[in-house]
Amino acid sequence: MGFFSYLRSSILSKIVMAITGAILVLYVIVHTAGNLLIYFGKDTLNSYSAFLHSLGPILWIIRVVLILSAILHIITSIKLKFENWGAKPTKYAVKKYLKAKFSSRTMIWTGLMVLCFVVYHLLHFTFRTTNPQHYYPEFYQPHNAVSSVILERFDVYRMVVLGFKNPLISLVYIVGVIIVGFHLDHAIQSMFQTLGYNQKHYFPTIQKCSTGLAIIIVICLISIPISILLGLVGGGI
Amino acid sequence: MILDGKVPSGRIEEKWDKHRFEMKLVSPANKRKYKILIVGTGLAGASAAASLAELGYNVEVFTYHDSPRRAHSIAAQGGINAAKNYPNDGDSIWRLFYDTVKGGDFRAREANVYRLAQVSNNIIDQCVAQGVPFAREYSGYLANRSFGGAQLSRTFYARGQTGQQLLLGAYSAMMRQVGLKKIILHTRTEMLDLVVIDGVARGIVTRNLLNGKIESFVGDAVVLATGGYSNVFFLSTNAQACNVTATYRAYKRGAFFANPAFTQIHPTCIPQSGEHQSKLTLMSESLRNDGRVWVPKNPGDKRDPRDIPEDERDYFLERMYPSYGNLAPRDIASRAAKRVCDEGRGVGPTGNGVYLDFADAIKRLGKKVIEERYGNLFEMYERITGDNPYETPMRIYPAPHYTMGGLWVDYNLMSNLPGLHVIGEANFSDHGANRLGASALMQGLADGYFILPYTIGHYFATTKLEKVTTDHPEFKKVEKEVEERIKKIMSINGKKTPTQFHRELGKIMWNYCGMSRNEQGLKTALELVPKLREEFWQNLTMVGEEGDLNIVLEKALRVADFLEFAELMLWDALERNESCGGHFREEHQYPDGEAKRDDENFCHVAAWEFTGVGNKPIRHIEPLVFEYVPLTVRSYK
Amino acid sequence: MKITLHIWRQKNSNDKGHFETYHLDNVIEDMSFLEMLDVLNEKLVAEGKEPVAFDHDCREGICGACSLTINGIPHGPEKNTTTCQLHMRKFKDGDEIWVEPFRARAFPVIKDLIVDRSAFDRIIQAGGFISVNTGQAPEANSILVPKQNADNAMDAAQCIGCGACVAACPNGAAMLFVAAKVSHFAYLPQGQPERKRRVLAMVEQMQKEGFGNCSNFYECGAACPKGISVRFIALMNRDYLKASYSEEKLEFAEKE
Repeated sequence: MGFFSYLRSSILSKIVMAITGAILVLYVIVHTAGNLLIYFGKDTLNSYSAFLHSLGPILWIIRVVLILSAILHIITSIKLKFENWGAKPTKYAVKKYLKAKFSSRTMIWTGLMVLCFVVYHLLHFTFRTTNPQHYYPEFYQPHNAVSSVILERFDVYRMVVLGFKNPLISLVYIVGVIIVGFHLDHAIQSMFQTLGYNQKHYFPTIQKCSTGLAIIIVICLISIPISILLGLVGGGI
Repeated sequence: MILDGKVPSGRIEEKWDKHRFEMKLVSPANKRKYKILIVGTGLAGASAAASLAELGYNVEVFTYHDSPRRAHSIAAQGGINAAKNYPNDGDSIWRLFYDTVKGGDFRAREANVYRLAQVSNNIIDQCVAQGVPFAREYSGYLANRSFGGAQLSRTFYARGQTGQQLLLGAYSAMMRQVGLKKIILHTRTEMLDLVVIDGVARGIVTRNLLNGKIESFVGDAVVLATGGYSNVFFLSTNAQACNVTATYRAYKRGAFFANPAFTQIHPTCIPQSGEHQSKLTLMSESLRNDGRVWVPKNPGDKRDPRDIPEDERDYFLERMYPSYGNLAPRDIASRAAKRVCDEGRGVGPTGNGVYLDFADAIKRLGKKVIEERYGNLFEMYERITGDNPYETPMRIYPAPHYTMGGLWVDYNLMSNLPGLHVIGEANFSDHGANRLGASALMQGLADGYFILPYTIGHYFATTKLEKVTTDHPEFKKVEKEVEERIKKIMSINGKKTPTQFHRELGKIMWNYCGMSRNEQGLKTALELVPKLREEFWQNLTMVGEEGDLNIVLEKALRVADFLEFAELMLWDALERNESCGGHFREEHQYPDGEAKRDDENFCHVAAWEFTGVGNKPIRHIEPLVFEYVPLTVRSYK
Repeated sequence: MKITLHIWRQKNSNDKGHFETYHLDNVIEDMSFLEMLDVLNEKLVAEGKEPVAFDHDCREGICGACSLTINGIPHGPEKNTTTCQLHMRKFKDGDEIWVEPFRARAFPVIKDLIVDRSAFDRIIQAGGFISVNTGQAPEANSILVPKQNADNAMDAAQCIGCGACVAACPNGAAMLFVAAKVSHFAYLPQGQPERKRRVLAMVEQMQKEGFGNCSNFYECGAACPKGISVRFIALMNRDYLKASYSEEKLEFAEKE
């Protein structure tokens, strides 16, 4: 079985969940921070986007790592879930949860929904297949240019604004991001527990930070479609 | 018959060493040719099973629980004694020996007690090596505390769960051997009879509690580690399933039962609250280190204890026993509590209770320290009674707790039936007429880890054992008897449940053979018990199948044996016409109510031989000689 | 107090099982939950019916024999309390109580409320010990244990092996039970030589017994009658990870 032999071990599977999860969470944090550049105007966002594209092979390494992480995360979670269902064949007629939160108990479902959302998100903004009409190039003059050279780059700003002006698309994003939030609420602190960082003194803080971080990410991300719908951002387009 | 305890000659300090040298050995290659059957998986049983399997013997272990870790040793709270003298307060093997002999009111075999004190230190070493998390000082060294019946700190403890931790240590040592296939473990299997072939114990007959199957097991030696019989009182601190069946069946097959009347009543239990009650809960004796025991000076004082002023309280243990105070030994403290309650000064709804007050200790040490020391016990008290002991004093009352009596064994822990070894609480040997706190764990582990593994080898090396299998007619005969007994019980079509009979028996025993006894009461009980037993066999109600998990049948079989055993206990209490330790005959007391021994006539072990149900058994004696601890009046004043 | 009980009755492991409803009129506040069941059983036996079979023994919260899932919580609603120590004063007159066995694939029902928890014993057999023979031990005070470590070890060692963690876990996982034993020894110097082998062997056996995986629900720690913390699971995960890439692992894998 080679690499996938970790799947035979309950704890190693969990550790793979935690590490791949950690990579994805870090990505979400960076991605959120990048998205917030929209508030600094068209130029900032578009040059950030151009910068990312200019990374070339590094961008591809990042992409490969993310894709592999996502695949391992999904495969492992499904394997764990089937085992878990098998380990509890009879359910209680009455069941009261003491500690398990709604977000913890729905990880597999929020996870699958996040997957769908990510696929849609990629089709929408990365492959630009769902709304190709929002794709425009932008012609601009670099700040440090000595002569009046006009360059062309991808107008992310316009694409985002046009996309989110559609209330239906915004709604999909808002719901999707909230689901991501639920997933993260459990995921972040769970990662620490699985990797063995739980001590009486600091773990309650980690748990609070986990929820806090999830909420911050959700607020940051949904603020963008809301701002656009309200006309606070991208009014000129 | 005068019984011989086979105590080796020589000075007491040298007896065990000399004996160990003189005993014959079984070579490592031959050890695997022997099979030992061990019944019971408490401290004694588990430690013996592990040690014997480590030596190379084949061991089969039997427990009626679902797991060996459930044995009632697990409930011991306070601690385990050893003569390490770590606190430098004057302890020694000699002093532990002396305290135990004196604490037992001079009714134990000196040589056994000395050996117990000798190996006590090895037990602590062994348990630490096994990973038992004993309490530690900040320096990392082991911590000690004081306990009832001793004026020094020699007790090792693991919070209030010492028994649990020691048992889990022995249990894991045993499970290691189960994993190595050196031990075969039979759970949910109850021993119902002993098989004796040509006078030698060769096997047992068991019932599988899951499917009712009756099975025989053959071995070269049988070890009973089946605990005590406090449940003869129905209400005791013992677990629900604790019973006398294994030892009583052995008695019926010819083993002598020694000192059955020596039962210990523990002073610090939560008083009974109603008829429904199924057991009494012990509060660790360690509570008496900081708690002060008192009752109101005036009978019938029903005020809230916190409203009773200091000068209207009677701290009776401190008053009666100034040098030991609240740490007076169990039998003494229990009787003192009974005395004040009999005077009408008892507290609580039933009037059967005394206060155990921590107000002073909390004032002196702070609530935090008390919480650290006794937190889990206080919580347990609050759960059961609904009262908060940080706020209001606890109420406690004595309850049956431990039985010093048991099957008679010689110095090698073998009964009069060759091959039948008895260890732990199930034998009679080390505690005399009263056991000191934190000594039961010590004895159980001493027997299992450090004594039986030596002596059983000697038995094998000096005995020629015929090869027998379970096809032997004697096995078939015993199996048939067991089956018939079960059939008979199943066929009684009466009205009363086994629990009802048990409760009635318990009342008789508690009233007439409990904390204090007298001739007339014992004679009354000797009439009542056979009557109850007769009714049992006429008027028992039974449900379910014999070939199924049947909790009513399990209970009925145990109660049936208690009903016979109770009579034996009464005979012993009646014939022992003196007071000593836990056996208090009202006719024999000093003017201040202390027990009055009769060393001239009763300085011996009484070992009883079965002569048929309902018949008076034959009383044999083993004289006790005290060469090293002079016979004195036991005083804790 | 009047109490209505819905109790799971199952003749044997092959039976499908069902709830049966019983009414008790004279329940006293001072009764423990099991004493209340005793009263019910006495009534049933007197009526010639089979009593409800349940495991119990010490009735002081330490042997770990008692079980029962009461109103959806193993050992019932009171925190840090076993069923035998749960008292009826925690319920109200007229309450309806659902009583079910501990449920998990690794704990098959034997009869009524009795389940087979022998899987725990086999996990201990696999490695829940320190391999010291009787007689090998050095002088007790030659092994120093910092108080903090002794306290941590004791916190973990308190486990009574009742199986409430498995019963409470939506995945039927035994992580807390295994972690408690692994941590008990991991905190002590005596436990170090076998530390890696132990965690590998015990986790391996845990999986063989058919327990589920950990989803960090923390239900186990909340239901544990001894209040054993889930931080021990974290410790075990760390130990297991280290052990998985050690020489001991290679040796262990060869043996398997």
